[in-house]
Amino acid sequence: MKDVYNKLLRISNKQTSVSNPFLDSIQKSIAIGSWEIDLQTMEISWSPMTKFIHEVAEDFTPNVEEALNFYEEGYHRDLISVLFDKAVNNGEEFDEEFLFRTAKNNLKWVRSIGYPVIENNKTVKILGVFQDVTEKTNTYKELEYQEKLISTTLEHAPNGMALVGLKGEILQLNKKFCDYLGYSKTELMLTNVNRLSHPDDINIIPIHINEMINGEKDHFECEKRYQKKDGSIIYCLLSVSIIRDEANQPLHFISNIIDITKSKEANKKIESLLQTTKSQNTRLQNFAHIVSHNLRSHSGNLEMLLELMSDEIPESTQNEFFPLINEAVNRLSETILNLNEVANINTKKNQDLESNNLLDFTNNALSTFRAEIIETKAKINIEIHNNIEVLAIPAYLESVLLNFISNAIKYKKEDIDPVINIHAEKENNYVKIKIEDNGRGINLDLHKDKIFGLYKTFHNHKDARGLGLYITKNQIDAMNGKVEVTSKVNIGTTFTIYLKHEAN
Amino acid sequence: MKQINSVCLIDDDPILIFAIKMIFKASKVCKNFTVYNNGEDAIDGLSQTLASGKDIPELILLDINMPIMDGWQFLDEFAKMTISKKITLYMVSSSVDPVDFMKAKEYELIKDFIVKPLTSDTLIKIAEDLNSN
Repeated sequence: MKDVYNKLLRISNKQTSVSNPFLDSIQKSIAIGSWEIDLQTMEISWSPMTKFIHEVAEDFTPNVEEALNFYEEGYHRDLISVLFDKAVNNGEEFDEEFLFRTAKNNLKWVRSIGYPVIENNKTVKILGVFQDVTEKTNTYKELEYQEKLISTTLEHAPNGMALVGLKGEILQLNKKFCDYLGYSKTELMLTNVNRLSHPDDINIIPIHINEMINGEKDHFECEKRYQKKDGSIIYCLLSVSIIRDEANQPLHFISNIIDITKSKEANKKIESLLQTTKSQNTRLQNFAHIVSHNLRSHSGNLEMLLELMSDEIPESTQNEFFPLINEAVNRLSETILNLNEVANINTKKNQDLESNNLLDFTNNALSTFRAEIIETKAKINIEIHNNIEVLAIPAYLESVLLNFISNAIKYKKEDIDPVINIHAEKENNYVKIKIEDNGRGINLDLHKDKIFGLYKTFHNHKDARGLGLYITKNQIDAMNGKVEVTSKVNIGTTFTIYLKHEAN
Repeated sequence: MKQINSVCLIDDDPILIFAIKMIFKASKVCKNFTVYNNGEDAIDGLSQTLASGKDIPELILLDINMPIMDGWQFLDEFAKMTISKKITLYMVSSSVDPVDFMKAKEYELIKDFIVKPLTSDTLIKIAEDLNSN
């Protein structure tokens, strides 16, 4: 620009006017105009290029005020006024970029340069150069914006990012990267990124790096441990991309790391918990089997010996003790059998369920209780459509129905004949089976939480053993079903069983 | 009732052996018993009997859980022996584990799986079945 000015000055000194065919052609080719103001006459002259940039007619001749008014009001106009004053009064040169509004109201960026010409310590005229820099400025501003965007993104990214050279040297990195590894930015700049790796994980990367440099891939991801400055380890998810130039030659890598230490550690904890739970569960199941099996052989022997004794030495039974011992042994055997049952339900859980006709099963269950029904004068109402099928393990379905029906009869009110309503209907994915009685009821306020618990009895009935509902609940669970209970003391109990049905 | 010549009991439980002997003796089903306390003793004893040209018992009651060689291992060894005579074998166990039931069904040698406690009714039924064949 200085050269152009010198040339301009030389030409201007020879010529009185800035308008000169030779100069004009130069101006046109470099999109630079010139201007001149004679401070004695306050006469302004613009070269055709200057007029072109201003978008004014060729015969346009501005005065000073008009010329200044092209500059955008506010900062830009104030600035040019100050600079112009300084050039006039102090002989100071200026060279600035301004926002500028043309005669056709287009906004442009212009570079305006002013050179005061001084004679006898006084500025007599100012020669100027005028250039349209809109495109350059816009591109520059755009670039500046992009750069700012990238650097802001990099700096405030929630994960660690680094620009890494082809040999592994860190060229640029963000705060998070430093934070993760506990180093300062200056400590890490130009350090080889491999130095930060956990020694055992150092071999993960080179193969991928080579493949990327060879152009086999542009990106890879892996889990990798890094060693922090204080020696502690962090687990990271590393993602590396390669950047290439126009000729497809590798330039550098962008490494992105996310600290996954916390989730990794949480995962480890969960895994070890799961492992513990699994082995505990297996041990518990084995324990249940062993205990129940061993107990069973002993109770079986006791039963057998008592039977033998009563056959072989009948007189030995003629006392108060024998029947009691016999009773105790029978109870023991039954309890052990039930425990076995419970232990087995848990092993059956994954067994395939099959479709069973609910009405058939209900009728079969009821026929088991023929004697009790007659004896108690129980009235049984069944409302089950004969096409309702439930997904169940047959033995469990039978056991569940037997148990609820038996309870309904067993826990009848002393003075009232039992009425039992058994009703089934489809509800969404389930068949809902309601077994309603008018028996003694259960105080749910007291027993709600333990009604399906092990060894809980709620009545003083002589046959109440407290295992039935526990087993029943386990069996229903094993068939992916659920059970609910509503009950009022002295009014009755309703058990609602939900079992899945074959999806249509 | 026709008598059974000899019954082989393979069980490590002296109470059970005592009781079976007593029931069979009392019902006059059988007087001769061969008792082994584990599968290995049984295999050794039965092989020796066979080698000496004597008859082996026609009824075997076999327990599952025994030390040294259990009921299943005994069955695998027993299947390898060449026996011309028909032997009836019952598995007798306190196990109510369905796995054991299923496994017992896979052995052709096993006539039935009897869950303890053994009662005199069961034992007499076994003897009757054996004689009716």
